[in-house]
Amino acid sequence: MKRQNVRTLSLIICTFTYLLVGAAVFDALESKKEKTQKKKVYDRKQELMNTYNLSQFNFDELERVVLQLKPHKAGVQWKFAGSFYFAITVITTIGYGHAAPSTDGGKVFCMLYALLGIPLTLVMFQSLGERINTLVRYLLHRLKKCLGMRRTEVSMVNMVAIGFISCMSTLCIGALSFSFFEGWSFFHAYYYCFITLTTIGFGDYVALQKDHALQTNPKYVAFCFIYILTGLTVIGAFLNLVVLRFMTMNSEDEKRDAEQRALLSRNGQAGGHNQMRCTPDLPSSSSAASGCGGGSGNSGVGGAGRGLRNVYAEVLHFQSMCSCLWYKSREKLQYSIPMIIPRDLSTSDTYMEQGEAFSSDPLHPLHSNGCICSMHHPHSAISSVSTGLHSLTPYRLRHSKRRSSI
Amino acid sequence: MKKQNVRTLSLILCMFSYLLVGAAVFDALESETESSRRRILELKRTEMKKKYRLSEDDYRQIEQVVLQAEPHHAGRQWKFAGSFYFAITVITTIGYGHAAPGTDAGKVFCMFYAVLGIPLTLVMFQSLGERMNTFVRYLLWRAKQCLGLRRTEVSMENMVSVGFLSCIGTLCVGAAAFSHYEGWTFFHAYYYCFITLTTIGFGDFVALQKKEDLQEKTPYVAFSFMYILVGLTVIGAFLNLVVLRFLTMNTEDERRDAQERASIKRERGLLTMGKHSHPLTFTRCCGVTA
Repeated sequence: MKRQNVRTLSLIICTFTYLLVGAAVFDALESKKEKTQKKKVYDRKQELMNTYNLSQFNFDELERVVLQLKPHKAGVQWKFAGSFYFAITVITTIGYGHAAPSTDGGKVFCMLYALLGIPLTLVMFQSLGERINTLVRYLLHRLKKCLGMRRTEVSMVNMVAIGFISCMSTLCIGALSFSFFEGWSFFHAYYYCFITLTTIGFGDYVALQKDHALQTNPKYVAFCFIYILTGLTVIGAFLNLVVLRFMTMNSEDEKRDAEQRALLSRNGQAGGHNQMRCTPDLPSSSSAASGCGGGSGNSGVGGAGRGLRNVYAEVLHFQSMCSCLWYKSREKLQYSIPMIIPRDLSTSDTYMEQGEAFSSDPLHPLHSNGCICSMHHPHSAISSVSTGLHSLTPYRLRHSKRRSSI
Repeated sequence: MKKQNVRTLSLILCMFSYLLVGAAVFDALESETESSRRRILELKRTEMKKKYRLSEDDYRQIEQVVLQAEPHHAGRQWKFAGSFYFAITVITTIGYGHAAPGTDAGKVFCMFYAVLGIPLTLVMFQSLGERMNTFVRYLLWRAKQCLGLRRTEVSMENMVSVGFLSCIGTLCVGAAAFSHYEGWTFFHAYYYCFITLTTIGFGDFVALQKKEDLQEKTPYVAFSFMYILVGLTVIGAFLNLVVLRFLTMNTEDERRDAQERASIKRERGLLTMGKHSHPLTFTRCCGVTA
């Protein structure tokens, strides 16, 4: 089965299993307390009904009023400050529900507002997050240089560690502030920050709901808004670093499959000279390295004379070989299931380092996935056999060394 | 300025303006209703306090009990079905809040559960969404072939229209179903489906909260769970088609910039080398002087 389908099916099964396990654990943790609390509340209700001489009907009437007044308890929710707060909860999809549009016009506008606002916000946070990651990478690189370290490349591990630490500190700063301003315990404030910044937004804890803060404490209001937006940026940067590549995996595999199909049809048109040792169903083989022999020395004959089209074909050929060998090397490095991990973990920084590494060998073509093939490569119009063979070995060593930092 | 920086700054400005405009419109739409409703309710409260001869303190006590009793009205929330429902609202980030962990241990587990579950769910929906898009593209291509159209390629417009129609269709199917089972109006049920499938999840409307539906109406419970997950997949597929490319724009530009820098360096090296040797005669000229 195609790699993308296997990946998708495994993810579906994983998610369902995760849901089942979560449900069981939540049941075990919360069920008992719910039962005892329900009984306690019911008993208290009876007690109050007796004390104040209320029938069930009377109590229901009171109950209705209390519940209807509940959203108003926290102050005016729809003046400008409150509406801004609400608008934030809509487009970031936090959605506390502490205030929800009661008019039908408000509901309609809310839906239209979300339709445009949510994609805008997603793109904005990812854009800003990527800029932050690039800046951090640059700063770390300079720091490593200043400290006089030998290897100044910023590895993925460095970036992930910094990202994780920033997320934790953001949560802790928020927890400290909100526990102070809202009178919650540190743990509850931390829980509030976590639920907010992951955009779950239960609404069991909501800031700016005490003492009419929305109307009377503009500085605190501004702090809350800025905290939520900056916090989401930090989390977004971390997601951009770690998760985004996984979301495009299927699309990239499809793209590569399409390129290979195109390459095959072009090779077929060219008279079948360029026979790939890698079998045509390479992308569909579940074990990525199976189809490649690693040597295809006699393919690509006559490339020098056929112009750019054949050169392009050779490069694509290279790429397919490369990814085949890349997976081979990954299997050797004993990574887990190669199809689940992304094909290309390198980011622009590794290109920068690779680019610098290759600067002394201008003849060696740099492939789009940044890998080098450690084999006798076929003839090509650009590089000659001798230079290729001369320069490949040291770069292969350096290349495999670099992989370990990722 | 670099393209990525311009793009990022414009997006930030856009978002802030969008928030300001939204706040102004919501204020205009909701403020008056809020204040008039509040006035009416406060009058009613004073009336009832007089009727039942309750002091402010008494009223506060009753209020406290009522608010504590509220989540229990919807039945048991933490038995397996309810917990499963809760787990869905956590990892999809919908987060209605109709049930929220009361114990501290539950809160801790909830946080760990979300840390792993949310990325897993994001990747899963995008993966499945991409598969669906590919499948739809294939079906559309075959349909075009069968209909004997001359140009059988599936364009982006085709895909976007099909995606948009599926989203609207999903929302309408949900609206019809929930308005029937929950007794909401079609509009409110549609609003519920929209707020759920965009993962906003206010919690003003929540399915499976009537009496003991979670425990008794198992087929309806299963339908609700399936609807939420399938609906999120459809929305996810549409986002994968339209929005995902924008999420990777800055990263791709950085990659391209890096490759350009690398190729410029290479060319410079090539130029300096070219004076001394020709690539194809490299082995011959190692010892040749300029």
